[in-house]
Amino acid sequence: MDIALRNTVKKQLLWVALVSISMFFASMLSAFIVEKADVVNWKVFILPDQFEISTVIILVSSFLLFFIKPLLKRGKSIFGLVFIVLILGILFSYFQIKGWQQLTNEGVYLTGIGSNVAGSFLYILTLTHLLHLVGGLVGLCISTIKSKQNLYSINNYLGLELTSIYWHFLTILWIILFTFLKFY
Amino acid sequence: MSEHHKENFITKYVFTQDHKMIAKQFLITGMFMAVVGMLMSAIFRVQLANPGESSILYNLLPGAWLNDSGGLNPDKYLALVTMHGTILVFWVLTAGLSGTFANFLIPLQIGARDMASGFLNMLSYWFFFIATVVLLSSLFVETGPASGGWTIYPPLSALPQAIPGSGTGMTLWLISITLFVVGSLLGGLNYIVTILNLRTIGMTMQRLPLTVWALLITAILGVLSFPVLLSCGLLLIFDRSFGTSFYLSDIIIGGEALHNEGGSPILFEHLFWFLGHPEVYIILLPALGIVSEVIAVNSRKPIFGYKAMVGALLLIAFLSFIVWGHHMFMTGMNPFLGSVFTFTTLLIAIPSAVKVFNYLATLWRGNIRFTPAMLFAIGTVSAFITGGLTGIILGDSALDINVHDTYFVVGHFHIVMGLSAIYGMFAGVYHWFPKMYGRMMNKNLGYLHFWGTFICAYGVFFPMHFLGLAGLPRRYYSNSAFPMFDGLSDINELITFFALAGAIFQVFFLFNFFYSIFKGTKATQNPWKSNTLEWTTPVERIHGNWPGELPVVTRWAYDYSKPGADEDFILQTEPLKEGEIEH
Amino acid sequence: MTNILIVVVVILLVATLVQILRVSELLSEIKNKDVNEVTDKDNNTQGILFLIVGFGFLIFVVWQMVTWNHLLLPPASSVHGTQIDFLMKISMGLILVVFFVLSPILFYFLYKYRGKKSNKAYFFSHNNKLEVLWTVIPTIILTALIIFGLKTWDKAMNVELTESTTIIEVYGQQFNWTARYSGLDNNLGKANFKLVKGRNTLGVDMLDANAADDKMAREVHLVIDQPVLLKFRSQDVIHSAFLPHFRVQMNCVPGMTTQFGFTPTKTTAQMKESEGEDFEYILLCNKICGASHYNMQLKFIVETQEEYDLWLASQENLETKLLTQK
Repeated sequence: MDIALRNTVKKQLLWVALVSISMFFASMLSAFIVEKADVVNWKVFILPDQFEISTVIILVSSFLLFFIKPLLKRGKSIFGLVFIVLILGILFSYFQIKGWQQLTNEGVYLTGIGSNVAGSFLYILTLTHLLHLVGGLVGLCISTIKSKQNLYSINNYLGLELTSIYWHFLTILWIILFTFLKFY
Repeated sequence: MSEHHKENFITKYVFTQDHKMIAKQFLITGMFMAVVGMLMSAIFRVQLANPGESSILYNLLPGAWLNDSGGLNPDKYLALVTMHGTILVFWVLTAGLSGTFANFLIPLQIGARDMASGFLNMLSYWFFFIATVVLLSSLFVETGPASGGWTIYPPLSALPQAIPGSGTGMTLWLISITLFVVGSLLGGLNYIVTILNLRTIGMTMQRLPLTVWALLITAILGVLSFPVLLSCGLLLIFDRSFGTSFYLSDIIIGGEALHNEGGSPILFEHLFWFLGHPEVYIILLPALGIVSEVIAVNSRKPIFGYKAMVGALLLIAFLSFIVWGHHMFMTGMNPFLGSVFTFTTLLIAIPSAVKVFNYLATLWRGNIRFTPAMLFAIGTVSAFITGGLTGIILGDSALDINVHDTYFVVGHFHIVMGLSAIYGMFAGVYHWFPKMYGRMMNKNLGYLHFWGTFICAYGVFFPMHFLGLAGLPRRYYSNSAFPMFDGLSDINELITFFALAGAIFQVFFLFNFFYSIFKGTKATQNPWKSNTLEWTTPVERIHGNWPGELPVVTRWAYDYSKPGADEDFILQTEPLKEGEIEH
Repeated sequence: MTNILIVVVVILLVATLVQILRVSELLSEIKNKDVNEVTDKDNNTQGILFLIVGFGFLIFVVWQMVTWNHLLLPPASSVHGTQIDFLMKISMGLILVVFFVLSPILFYFLYKYRGKKSNKAYFFSHNNKLEVLWTVIPTIILTALIIFGLKTWDKAMNVELTESTTIIEVYGQQFNWTARYSGLDNNLGKANFKLVKGRNTLGVDMLDANAADDKMAREVHLVIDQPVLLKFRSQDVIHSAFLPHFRVQMNCVPGMTTQFGFTPTKTTAQMKESEGEDFEYILLCNKICGASHYNMQLKFIVETQEEYDLWLASQENLETKLLTQK
């Protein structure tokens, strides 16, 4: 396979995988909708402020990734940029966990006595999103190291591109989940 | 990827990235699981014919759960039924069938050196392998393997107090199926991307063999539906192990009221069958693809209505996503929803009918050569007719009221899904064995295997319809509790007789298979005089499939007995003659 | 000992088979023939076999239909059940016709077009007219079936509550059924799983005024030609209440109440006359629910109004059963 074809193939593999992951979350969300309509003792929860902060963080991080291509075109180092995105990603995870703490303090539990299907769904949806995000963080770590070693160039940054696509996907996914949990 | 790697034992047979070897790994694992699953069915068939009589076969089963007391008690019966279903549906007919033939045929038939990602492909098998180990290890758990039916409806599957198998056995089941799904998804990604990108020059979508079309659509179904099983299972894992209430509500078990409130077991059924119904076609479509190819080759005729065949596959795949509710007519769902699902379900009969008619039209005025593969392909068509028709009864919600969950259903899906698919798998193995191992399988043993299986299988599954129409529910350990079923023991004995006889005929296949790998007569390059690209590769297995340049395709795969040609087949690489029109 | 014997026998069998195969292959090598090539003779044999076995299969099907006909469920004993039976007859007739047309065609083609080396197949890749024809015909037939089916389904599922409808609760648990009659007010008292305690096995809320005259029973008595509405609940796992003779089935799901309404049309006594002395209406469990799934039954008895009144009067109501007795 020549390089151009190999790049297309790798990207397509990722795209199909993203479709698959979307189906996972779509089924989870439809379960959420069905249960909300059905369950008698559905306890409405209020999203913690931390989730709003993390929304802003992940949006910024996603936005920053758009500068990779211009920087590479001008032959500049992208280490700083990727590193910041990585830090933002970790911050996002931190605020998610903070958010859960806030929820527990307010009496919204994942499991056990006093838990409610509504709350459990909130935890499960954010938890599975975070698990997918861990994959993105691993990708960013590798990209950070590689960019520190100046291994990327405008002709050769497929790994970074894949990580970016995945990261944008996670951002969009989070926005969808967030709006759903907040306004539905 | 055309460069040749040095191969040692590990990279050649174990952690191989060669699609042909991975296909064989899937096949052998699938065959092993098929033997396990068949043994289990033989045991519970003996129970159903002679209630309470433990058999020699029963003692062959391994596992700690068997040792505590003699004989097959109801719990163990349900465990066997559950494992039989799980193994046959997922391990044999999903991984064993589409895992084998997608891996083997896609690169060979589209003219690619290998899959898009050999590494992901290898990973896919090893996820499957670990899933197999985990599933089999559940046989050694003290409380037994999962026993709530292969559909694992909660609360039964969620509460160890309800049935012992829902303890550790169920946990292992869930872990195993999660690994299985991950493996299937990795495979599916690869199949789709490979078919879309790596077709050789001239291999347009309109020239793809129907096998590849079927495998492509199967992969798409898998990628869209398996994640739903994952989320469905994840919620169940949380309910079981962490005390959430997604599926549980208002339950008293073992005299104790559980804290769970608000959940709905029906939600589980919706999620499960959203996967579960497409899963039926994930099983069936590859078989239909294989059958299309085998019938065309051995009728020495083009497959009739190529475009209609592809269209029918697409329509069946699309409809399969909007019919899942027909498994749930009796859950108290809104009657209007029931009507919608009846409507969509019965629509599936239309593309299915088209496929059957097209197969018949392909046979018409053919010059049929009865290879063992061809016999099994015909078996698929016959089973698809016989079993498909009863679907019209079951898909009709009004009629489903009285046959739902009876043996009528068991008969129906074993014929239309079980037999059709397993015959398709046998057809595939007999047909492509020369390509896989460079040797031929013995023809006469193949004939013997086919006739034994064909007769016994109808002997097993056809009478089940009558049991169902007599009102006998499935998953009953014994029918003796109800006087109204007393008259059915003759039928049960007949079924068991055929089941055991049918099992014996499978030994001929296993023997033929392994004998031929080592001692079979050497195959020629194109033993069936077939048009497709895999028969242009050398007999010896090589990395990269074609020694030199990739072949260039100039025509479709079905130019058999074309007027004006010298031979009754024309390879896809043969350029069109001057003035020749493409079919 | 037996195990060793079995192993030895299996090994011997395999060894014999290997030898037979080797010999047959060597023989054909001597004759300079490929043992695995499909000859005209093979095609002939297999084609004829398909004709024989195929039609043998069809005869086997007819034999089953004749021999086992008496084992099938008797005609429905309910109003909607009769309609279901009619739909079933039509659908079954239709699929049998299709089955007995397509299967012989398949087997005949296999025989008729069995290959010969000297023959050549007819190149026939598509024919739009034919394909449209066999898409349209099934579509028309199925449309008719769908419409007919949906009408029957609507009639079966949409129960109208009338004055005379008796409401009875059927409660499933591992592994038995309990019935609860709604009493004179024809209103079931509320129930909650948290209230299940001691003799109050159904968790009936005795503070609810409707509950006082409810009656619990271990068998269900119905009046002929009087509509009844069954309400289903479950204590633990999913069960399914299946009354094959009435063509009634509904899942019992913990946390939910489901229902099915029907009108019985034949008394148990009448059925005993036509089906034999042993006949009973039975409710079975039809959703896998655990070890004794196969033995979870509730007797139904259909009788005349007088017999029914007599029986009902003999049952004590919940107020006496749970509150006054110690």
